[in-house]
Amino acid sequence: MTALLAARGLSKHFGGLRALDGVDLELGAGEILGVIGPNGAGKTTLFSLMAGSLRPTAGEVLLDGEPVSGLPAHRVVRAGVVRTHQIVRPFPNLTVLENVTVAALHGKRRAQGTAKARAIEVLEFVGLADRAADLPGVLTLGGRKRVELARALATVPRVLLLDEVIAGINPAEAMALAALIRKIRDERKTAIVMIEHVMPAVMSLSDRVIVLDHGKKIAEGAPAEVVKDKQVLEAYLGVGNG
Amino acid sequence: MKPIAAVVAVLALMPIVLDLSAYSHNLLTLAFLMISGALAWNWMGGFVGQVSFGHAAMFGVGGFVAARVIIATSLPAPLAWIAGALVAGIAAIGAHPMLRLRGPYFSIATIGVGEASRFVFTYWEGFTGGASGLSLPIDADLKYQLYWWGLGLAGVVAAASLLLRRSTLGLQLLAIKADVDAAADVGVSATFYQDLIFCLSGAVVGLTGGLYASYFGYIEPSDLFGFDRSIGFVLMAVIGGVGTVLGPALGAVVFVLLRQYLVASYPQLYLGLYGLLLIVIILFEPLGLTGLGHRLWRQFRKVRR
Repeated sequence: MTALLAARGLSKHFGGLRALDGVDLELGAGEILGVIGPNGAGKTTLFSLMAGSLRPTAGEVLLDGEPVSGLPAHRVVRAGVVRTHQIVRPFPNLTVLENVTVAALHGKRRAQGTAKARAIEVLEFVGLADRAADLPGVLTLGGRKRVELARALATVPRVLLLDEVIAGINPAEAMALAALIRKIRDERKTAIVMIEHVMPAVMSLSDRVIVLDHGKKIAEGAPAEVVKDKQVLEAYLGVGNG
Repeated sequence: MKPIAAVVAVLALMPIVLDLSAYSHNLLTLAFLMISGALAWNWMGGFVGQVSFGHAAMFGVGGFVAARVIIATSLPAPLAWIAGALVAGIAAIGAHPMLRLRGPYFSIATIGVGEASRFVFTYWEGFTGGASGLSLPIDADLKYQLYWWGLGLAGVVAAASLLLRRSTLGLQLLAIKADVDAAADVGVSATFYQDLIFCLSGAVVGLTGGLYASYFGYIEPSDLFGFDRSIGFVLMAVIGGVGTVLGPALGAVVFVLLRQYLVASYPQLYLGLYGLLLIVIILFEPLGLTGLGHRLWRQFRKVRR
């Protein structure tokens, strides 16, 4: 069986800095893969490479066995991989509905109806239907994260790359967003790769976790195993050789 | 859409019902041409947010191609104008490499390309007649009728602006303007839409150039390709309100009247005065007359309450 999304020896060097260095990963259909690691480990670079925002220095990204790395971002979206940003970037001058409609015009056309109808459906799904006419600026951060999610979902992705969706918002909203992420996987049959610093969320949502440090994958496995890994503890806590 | 049709209808009847002086007839015809140009400029400068200081290049290409077609063939003038528009639209696609630049960098590049085109066409005497220009066959009837041709074009371009803004295409242009990377991340190809809009905008400006050539009967590269013509498109949009749907039309009317006065009274200074006007508007009312109108309307409602 080929993986839905796979990275092979994926590397990105910025001058002498190896932001990402020979990372392999596989994502199965319907899977949630957590990506954790200290700041500067290369997590967001990994996403940028998979979403087409950056070209890899070496290695490739495969979707259903077809290479997508090196394609421009809008083509990667059409192929079925879409990302959200750690710092939300709604179009500030467009209403929430318009924000999502722009996205609904693109991507795989699995759903029927006009872009606007599809956008409304997605807004209902993420619980923003009553805010459709608002500008994103008046929403809470959690609300804007939902706009970001809705925009990504409106492209009908096969793989959703979530960059710290849960971090930085209040606990109640965080719980609701975690539930929403699970609902996306279960009801929309979308495989998810999520970068997250909020450990309880990663541990409970992920089927599998990979750990990055200094651009390299240092561990991979079930959440409960990974947190016990010696290398992981060293990367996070700086435990010496004692 | 209805208000546009109403205004066009009234203006269409005006020369028939009223006894318009030749002076007013002339100013209105010029205003109609500039309205089309300013609205088309605004698709790129306002909707996509890429401010071009080089639209004179397409105006000139459209004008000279139309003139050459009229001189060389017996085709009716409208077909020659369309030929000019097509060539101008195709020439605009040549801006593709520039469209990877954004903001001020794009603007600076357009200044370079606009000026380069002026030099090329001034030295290409075989095509443009060089510094001495080109004369078209005299056609007094057509000159008079250009009032309605110009009005029709302005009406169509205004309607197109409105449709464009309300369409999903317009929505994507606004997304590109707001955040080009975030737009790409939801599947919007900024390159494709910018090419498309620059091509359409260039074609309409080229069409305007063709009508302009027929109207004056005599054209020269330093006028059609001139830098102050490019500045003119920017200024009309800024006066009326950059990025607003129909503001640039209002700006074009003000600009034509203003230019008429300034060129006559301050022939040495008028470019400097344009610059001053640009600065004042951008400092105090970035949305131009449209913004001013909204502000006054809000004041008025507050007072009434």
